[in-house]
Amino acid sequence: MFKKLQQYDKGTRYVALVVLVILIPLAYSIVKPIFAHNDPITEVFLEKPDPSHTSCVRDTTYMRLHHWELLTKIREEVVRYGNRTIEIRDGKKEAIGLNDCRNCHTSRERFCDRCHNAVNLYPECWGCHYYP
Amino acid sequence: MNRREFLEAGGGILFAGVSCAYAGHLLTSYATKTTGEDSPAFGKKMGMVIDVNKCRKGCTECLKACKAENNIAQPGDSRWDVHWIRKVTLKDKNNTNVPEKPVVLLCNHCDKPPCAQVCPVQATFKRPDGIVIVDYHRCIGCRYCVIACPYNARYFNFKEAEVWSNKGYPRRTHGVAEACNLCAHRLEIGDVPACVVACQNIGAGAITVGDMNDPESDISKLIANNSTKRIRMDLGTEPKVHYIGL
Ligand code: HEC
Ligand code: HEC
Ligand code: HEC
Repeated sequence: MFKKLQQYDKGTRYVALVVLVILIPLAYSIVKPIFAHNDPITEVFLEKPDPSHTSCVRDTTYMRLHHWELLTKIREEVVRYGNRTIEIRDGKKEAIGLNDCRNCHTSRERFCDRCHNAVNLYPECWGCHYYP
Repeated sequence: MNRREFLEAGGGILFAGVSCAYAGHLLTSYATKTTGEDSPAFGKKMGMVIDVNKCRKGCTECLKACKAENNIAQPGDSRWDVHWIRKVTLKDKNNTNVPEKPVVLLCNHCDKPPCAQVCPVQATFKRPDGIVIVDYHRCIGCRYCVIACPYNARYFNFKEAEVWSNKGYPRRTHGVAEACNLCAHRLEIGDVPACVVACQNIGAGAITVGDMNDPESDISKLIANNSTKRIRMDLGTEPKVHYIGL
């Protein structure tokens, strides 16, 4: 193989080396999962609330993508206008606050924090708001 | 206009239009517009009446109740202790025959609050029902309000409260200024403030809180039937805490 490579000029040989350096890890990353044995996931990433609760204060997709907007809205209504019953979904007025999240999502550590840590986000709410 | 100019102008207009549409989308897509228009707070004017004659000497029940209800920071150092409500004794220095009077002092919930006027981020503001309240989420801790208040009612949090006595209400961390909020969180759910409850529990009933716009409320009748005084009316802040027998 080296004999063969020597037929080429220096530049081409360097290019070949670089290509090899890139290809080897790439190939390894493709092959590795095929041979890795599937560890069963022992712990769920997000702790689901008690099964007696069927849904969140809004649908799960909205909560996943917009819960901070909802919290900001509740906060503005409560703190700036003294309006505690807010239309959260289906035109119904509900009194939902940060305190209600912890009724269903009982552990901040295994729910909110786990997700936030994954995206390197540290909301500074818990110095003031009680959420164990 | 030749073909090149036409294409250039058309491209420019197209680009401007698309960017305006995109900017408009960005500006309006913020889904959390708040108006509070159906808030029950509109049309009210909350105030307080303190009957100095009923206030008992040496009694600190209202102060204790306030501290427990609102998780007030008490590091035990007079430089850092926060007081939403304080008790002082009035003496006549020239005439010692005049009996001393215990007076509770607190945020006067001014109609023209100086603290709200100086707040650079509108964290301190007057709510639609007249309660002067701090939005701790906005407060940057500049302490202008502490200096502006002529009643010494505002305090800065140098330390956060160690005991979390009322878990339903947030405490405040280091770096925000605060003052009495007339227990707005209790009034909204139909309760009366903690100090009022404490004062009624010991049987004194010196403090009354209510809506001054409602002529049928206890507080309106008290103000109508008694001669009341307000502190430092000369400043033009129009405080809403009335004292009977001061
Ligand atoms: C400096 C203390 C402080 C911090 C930090 C703080 N809050 Fe608050 N928050 C309060 C206070 C005080 C209230 C008023 C509570 C009331 O009136 O019941 C409040 C009210 C709220 C409310 C509405 C009432 C309720 O109980 O739900 C929401 C929602 C809220 N905050 C969300 C947040 C979020 C989200 C964060 C973090 C980004 C945060 N807060 C950080 C002090 C704080
Ligand atoms: C009535 C109980 C209940 C309350 C109150 C509640 N949740 Fe939920 N929440 C749920 C349930 C049940 C799910 C899971 C739904 C599912 O698995 O499809 C959920 C899901 C979520 C999710 C998405 C999790 C995921 O799987 O991606 C978020 C984020 C969330 N909640 C945030 C909140 C916040 C913030 C509050 C406070 C305003 C709150 N929840 C209040 C019951 C509740
Ligand atoms: C499914 C994952 C997930 C879960 C579960 C989750 N969050 Fe979040 N949260 C996020 C993400 C992602 C953001 C960042 C949003 C952004 O800034 O664009 C965020 C942002 C926030 C913010 C705004 C922070 C800021 O600095 O603006 C608050 C407040 C918040 N979450 C509260 C909660 C609370 C309370 C819970 C638990 C009841 C919770 N979150 C559960 C993913 C999650």
